[in-house]
Amino acid sequence: MRNFLVRRILSGIVMLATLAVVGYALLRLGTSDIAQKIAGQSAGPAQVALVEEKLGLDRPMLVQFGDWFGALLTGDLGRSWFSGQLVSDTVLSRMSVTVTLAIGSVLLTAVFGVLLGALAATRRGWIDRAVQVLAVIGQAVPGFLLAVALVLVFAVQLDWFPATGYERFADSPVGWLRSVTLPIVALALGSLGGVAQQVRGSMLDVLGRDHVRTLRSRGLPEHRVVYRYVLRNAAGPALSVLGLQFVIILSAAVVVEQVFSIPGLGPVALTSTTQGDVPLVMGIVLVTGAMVIVVNLVVDVLQGVINPKVRLS
Amino acid sequence: MRRWSVAAVTVTSAALVLTACSGGPTDDGGSADGGHLRIGAVVDLSTWDPAGAAWGNEATYFMATYDTVLRTAADGTVEPGLAETWEYNDDRTQLTLHLRDGVTFSDGDEVTAEVVAENLLRFRDGTSENAGNLGAVESITAADEHTVEIELSQPDPGLETYLSQNSGLVGSPAMFDDPDAAASPIGSGPYVYDEAASIPGSRYEFTAREDYWDEEIQHYDSITINVYTDATATQNALRDGQVDMANLNSTSQIPAAEQAGYTINAAPVNWKGFILADREGTVNEALGDVRVRQAINYALDRDALLQAIDSGYGEPTTQIFGPENEAFVDELEDRYPYDPEKAKELLAEAGYPDGVTIVEPRTSFVPASDYELIAGMLVESNITLQGEETGSEFIGDLLGGKWAAFQFGLNQEPLAWQVYQLAVAPESAWNVKHVVDETVQGLAERMRLGGEDGSAAARELNEYLVEQAWFAPIYRVDGVLVTAEGTSMTNKTGQAVPNLWDIVPE
Repeated sequence: MRNFLVRRILSGIVMLATLAVVGYALLRLGTSDIAQKIAGQSAGPAQVALVEEKLGLDRPMLVQFGDWFGALLTGDLGRSWFSGQLVSDTVLSRMSVTVTLAIGSVLLTAVFGVLLGALAATRRGWIDRAVQVLAVIGQAVPGFLLAVALVLVFAVQLDWFPATGYERFADSPVGWLRSVTLPIVALALGSLGGVAQQVRGSMLDVLGRDHVRTLRSRGLPEHRVVYRYVLRNAAGPALSVLGLQFVIILSAAVVVEQVFSIPGLGPVALTSTTQGDVPLVMGIVLVTGAMVIVVNLVVDVLQGVINPKVRLS
Repeated sequence: MRRWSVAAVTVTSAALVLTACSGGPTDDGGSADGGHLRIGAVVDLSTWDPAGAAWGNEATYFMATYDTVLRTAADGTVEPGLAETWEYNDDRTQLTLHLRDGVTFSDGDEVTAEVVAENLLRFRDGTSENAGNLGAVESITAADEHTVEIELSQPDPGLETYLSQNSGLVGSPAMFDDPDAAASPIGSGPYVYDEAASIPGSRYEFTAREDYWDEEIQHYDSITINVYTDATATQNALRDGQVDMANLNSTSQIPAAEQAGYTINAAPVNWKGFILADREGTVNEALGDVRVRQAINYALDRDALLQAIDSGYGEPTTQIFGPENEAFVDELEDRYPYDPEKAKELLAEAGYPDGVTIVEPRTSFVPASDYELIAGMLVESNITLQGEETGSEFIGDLLGGKWAAFQFGLNQEPLAWQVYQLAVAPESAWNVKHVVDETVQGLAERMRLGGEDGSAAARELNEYLVEQAWFAPIYRVDGVLVTAEGTSMTNKTGQAVPNLWDIVPE
């Protein structure tokens, strides 16, 4: 296990370095007029030149990259070209919000996805059909629409939750919970059906195997067969899907955070990309990339915990 | 089964706790009670550093935290700010400001003439897009502790107004060399920024300063500015009653705002239309002929376009100066009635009996549907618009004069001089071909000296620009602010947001 972890960490570092190089190159080659955008549409050539000088944009691209990458190796993500704020401050303060939404959504998806998938696989009938319909709806309906619908019903009509905004946990735990509930539900609804489908499929596969028949023939209660033996064997593929869902939810969070005016990575990623704020975009790219690498590592470790064969391989 | 029962009970209990704690919007501390103002902003703050400050939609942030050297009232009248009195010398090349005594920043440092001078110089030499507002400033010195002398290379009739905007923001000297100044303002303004309670990019919190020198403009104990860059978020916030005053992202949100019980405060802020930049015909020979440019003006059904694009929220116009501007001439609004036949006639006179083709950029400033609508309309007058896709990287080309004409929207500044500096002066950003016209220059020199003759020259300039069809404005579009019950405001001439002190509890 230790060797496995070391290998994965090293490969993760290589991946991040590659992401840094490729991402920076694509961004800089794909954007122009950055100094004009920073200075403002109505800024004259003198202001634009001043901005270029101040930010070092008048230097050769390789020199600019070298400076940025060198600083990155010391943990310095630089400052936003537009706001002047430290990228690390911006990204870290917002990352916690996005991660909260993502983890909350994944947990909600996991709990209810497994529950619905298990019910669909064991009870069949209308529950099975409902799960399949839910899967299709979740994948077909954009997260944006789900978010708007939730706001209209639960915030505007029923007044159970705020329509927009975010409350810090430290300021008010209840306020925080209320402010993240609808966004988390909006994100979870989109992936719930898919996870339930996956669990259903895996469980149906395991339920048909000989060892399950043997367990039943030995007189074990059905619920024990299903939840202690079948679910554990079916959990592997579901875990992989959940890991994938985490990444998908990170992307979907961009839209959901905009709709709910949540100060996560989403809105700042959108703005900084549009503006061409390279340091900030790269900071977000690297942090997001690191999160994906960590999540995949966690999923692999959990796969090993669940299934000894994975450990051995 | 027991586990699921426990889970079900847990979920149900949590739901009950949450609903028990509901009862109105909570993210900002509840609805307005006269002590707390919640503002919805459509634009996030770019920087707190006065040297790089923007204005326009960001003005509210700055008005909360900083004072300006002068102020302007809602009707554009210049009023005292940090400077109690001021005067020009005879030839208007020196402005002397007499600062009020005893004003301090929130960190305790005193606002002195030296600090004010340094702030103004930092802005002039800084990265703000409006740094050119102080372009005529040659030097700024502190004659004594409360007297600032500004030397100008030539008279600037807009200077007093500029000193009431971002050009005149005064921040503490502690910010000058602080790399974190962009995130941490220290001003002498009516409210203090609460950095700990704020979430940059989402919510900015301010508390009223107890020892502020002008208590009369402090109408609230605290202010929250919520950022809603997404139109859906704005609408949801309105529906949920989460703001007392807000900008709308577009006029299409007006019905939803009215349904949510908000009062609509609409006032024209920008004009939309064409900048017919190539008046010398260097890119498109046809546009060098005034008759072709006039034809474009005749080819636009302004009423129909206003209705189709902005649902009638605005006023058709042929002028780039707003109705409150000294240069505005009422009669000019009828100069170019919609007349495709007249347009064709002018084109034929100019030597284009079969019409003209104009290549224009398709930019993110104008929705594609608007392009199609206007292009379809101009075709009836034998004017073909050929759109050129630009992607997001076009500003340099646009400002560099690549295209002969393009659709755009510009602010209708309160002063004629500001409009001249923005879009007419040879060196202005939006005179992209930097056209020099003797008549325009002569009128500008008279405007520069101000007074009655300056105002008369401004009107003559307007008439000349309309007659020469330097532009083809279509309409002035309303900027819309909404207020909740219990809050009222006064629109400010030529500004997207009102003065902060003109937002009052009812």
